Amino acid sequence: MASGEKTLNEQPQTDNGRPAWVKVLIPVLALGGVGVTAVLGFVMVFFITAWFGNPLPVLGFDQSPVQPIAFPHTAHAGSELLFNDDGSAKMDAEGKQLTGIGLDCTFCHRTVTDTNVAGIPPVETCVTCHRVIGSTQSEPLTLLRTIGLGDDPGPIQWKRVHRLPDHVRFVHEPHIRFLTDVGNTHVIANRDEAAILAGTQSDGSVLAAVTCSTCHGDIKSQTQVAQVEPLKMGQCVDCHRKNDAPTDCTTCHF
Amino acid sequence: MVTAAERVSSHKWGMAVDVDRCTGCQACVMACQTENNIPLSTEDIYRQKRTFAWIRIERYWYGDFPNVKARFIPIMCQHCENAPCEPVCPVFATYHNTEGMNVQIYNRCVGTRYCGAGCPYNVRFFNYWEPVWPSTLRNQLNPDVTIRSRGIMEKCSFCVQRIRRGVREAAQEDRDLVDGEIQTACTDACPTNALVFGDFNDDNSRVSIMSHDDRKYTHLDSLNTEPNVVYLAQIDATGGAIGEHE
Ligand code: HEC
Ligand code: HEC
Ligand code: HEC
Ligand code: HEC
Ligand code: HEC
Repeated sequence: MASGEKTLNEQPQTDNGRPAWVKVLIPVLALGGVGVTAVLGFVMVFFITAWFGNPLPVLGFDQSPVQPIAFPHTAHAGSELLFNDDGSAKMDAEGKQLTGIGLDCTFCHRTVTDTNVAGIPPVETCVTCHRVIGSTQSEPLTLLRTIGLGDDPGPIQWKRVHRLPDHVRFVHEPHIRFLTDVGNTHVIANRDEAAILAGTQSDGSVLAAVTCSTCHGDIKSQTQVAQVEPLKMGQCVDCHRKNDAPTDCTTCHF
Repeated sequence: MVTAAERVSSHKWGMAVDVDRCTGCQACVMACQTENNIPLSTEDIYRQKRTFAWIRIERYWYGDFPNVKARFIPIMCQHCENAPCEPVCPVFATYHNTEGMNVQIYNRCVGTRYCGAGCPYNVRFFNYWEPVWPSTLRNQLNPDVTIRSRGIMEKCSFCVQRIRRGVREAAQEDRDLVDGEIQTACTDACPTNALVFGDFNDDNSRVSIMSHDDRKYTHLDSLNTEPNVVYLAQIDATGGAIGEHE
């Protein structure tokens, strides 16, 4: 009891004259608190952006991994003028500016129209052209030739860019079939009609290549492939609902 | 025009098991194990009484010595229309889909194990441990089937990955499915065709025909679970079909 009274009596005294170390501690704690809040806030922003879509492209959260060989889609799939990394125009041996060669996506991603995986071309595909095409000074091409033209043409260890979690099954084939089906009088939402029109051949069929941008963005103009669409469940189910595609959980999860 | 959703849900998948043809060879058990990435039931796991088998062969003896005979009954998830496991799931990780299957969504599952307690057939299995495979078996895992992590319930899925593939390939070729085209791993492996898989909505499918056989019975009828797996009773050479066991 006595000690309790004593503390009660002493209370105002401590408030009046704080010891020196407490005075130092208060600003330290206050600053520390601000710091902790800032760090927590930063972490939360990461998690929230990651939840809703693509994480911010900093601190290794990039959606565009550096590939073992700097393979440019611009040079192969695009047909625009090419530029070097420093912004200068890319010239061929005769001093003419190079343009992309506009290959069809299915030239390399061959299985995209009939199976679940699109497939990455084997190194043999690359060296059929690059045995001769491209300067001998080019660093990525030298690397490509050592891998592809040696005695034992090894695979290139490409880094995966688009990857759904293990519990999701994605199939390319029905999507390409659906997006290229011009005769589909059904509701067509999320389809790039202008691209379809541009890709329509004289016989009425549509090039598979024009549909890729629905989920992959404009790959043709990317020197390093990046994931631009979030490809979260919301996006998938949204489009499935609008187009009367199956939305049963076992469509994508099994 | 048939929409993609209607095309998928126009089926009612089911199985018919002719007990008279089953020799208890366990081929279905092995096929299922490899197809569905089922964790190995090692000695250690066995001693813990936590072995996995989405399909198992139950063995019964009947007759009096010396005329004892064995009867083998393959038991897998019965895909009940009126499933006791479904209403108890607090997160809707298991539900009845439009194709007559009782499905388990692994990523939705939080591992309460209520469904396992509710199931009268004992065909649901809980991953008490993270599954591990010896390095020699890593490459035989099926890429079409999710590997269930620790803390998740799993069970026979009627090889839904094969159903999806079959339906999709038929759509790709713009034709109707043929009965018998889609086979589950166990029906594929069964050497005596005791296990038959098919579509109950198709009146001419083998399962539909078998489900109208006089020998047809379903397991634990009294619980009114209305299974989508029907059994045909064994015929005893000495007279009559041997009825359902309880
Ligand atoms: C000359 C062959 C070639 C052509 C033509 C080509 N690609 Fe690629 N593509 C590749 C290679 C090689 C990779 C792997 C390296 C990389 O990711 O940059 C790749 C990667 C990709 C990826 C990322 C894969 C991942 O890991 O997620 C996408 C998406 C893609 N390509 C789409 C397209 C589209 C769309 C087109 C047509 C506009 C196209 N590609 C044309 C060779 C090609
Ligand atoms: C149809 C022929 C063809 C095929 C197949 C092809 N390329 Fe190319 N590639 C070209 C052309 C043309 C260029 C532009 C020429 C240049 O940059 O000197 C180019 C440019 C490149 C460059 C840039 C070179 C530089 O100096 O910046 C790289 C890297 C490259 N290709 C890698 C690949 C890889 C990897 C593959 C296999 C997936 C491949 N190519 C397949 C024709 C092809
Ligand atoms: C409906 C959306 C969608 C469309 C349309 C689409 N993709 Fe994809 N693509 C994806 C998703 C999702 C993944 C990731 C798949 C995974 O992780 O299982 C992917 C992965 C890829 C990959 C890398 C993995 C693999 O399958 O080899 C390539 C390459 C690719 N796509 C190319 C293409 C090309 C080329 C086209 C156009 C012909 C195309 N995609 C059209 C959604 C789409
Ligand atoms: C552009 C709209 C669109 C987007 C985005 C989309 N889908 Fe689809 N998907 C469809 C349509 C339409 C079908 C039905 C095609 C058919 O069979 O006629 C389909 C079919 C499928 C099928 C095959 C269903 C079957 O019949 O077995 C799977 C699996 C699938 N989608 C998964 C996904 C996943 C996973 C994503 C997200 C990464 C996704 N889809 C994004 C439109 C879309
Ligand atoms: C059209 C395809 C599609 C359908 C249908 C679908 N999902 Fe998904 N789901 C996805 C994709 C893609 C992801 C992965 C999102 C990501 O990258 O995190 C996902 C993720 C999830 C997750 C999150 C897992 C995690 O760890 O974050 C849960 C839970 C889930 N789905 C449950 C369901 C349930 C329950 C249903 C049925 C009502 C369903 N899904 C139907 C495509 C689908």
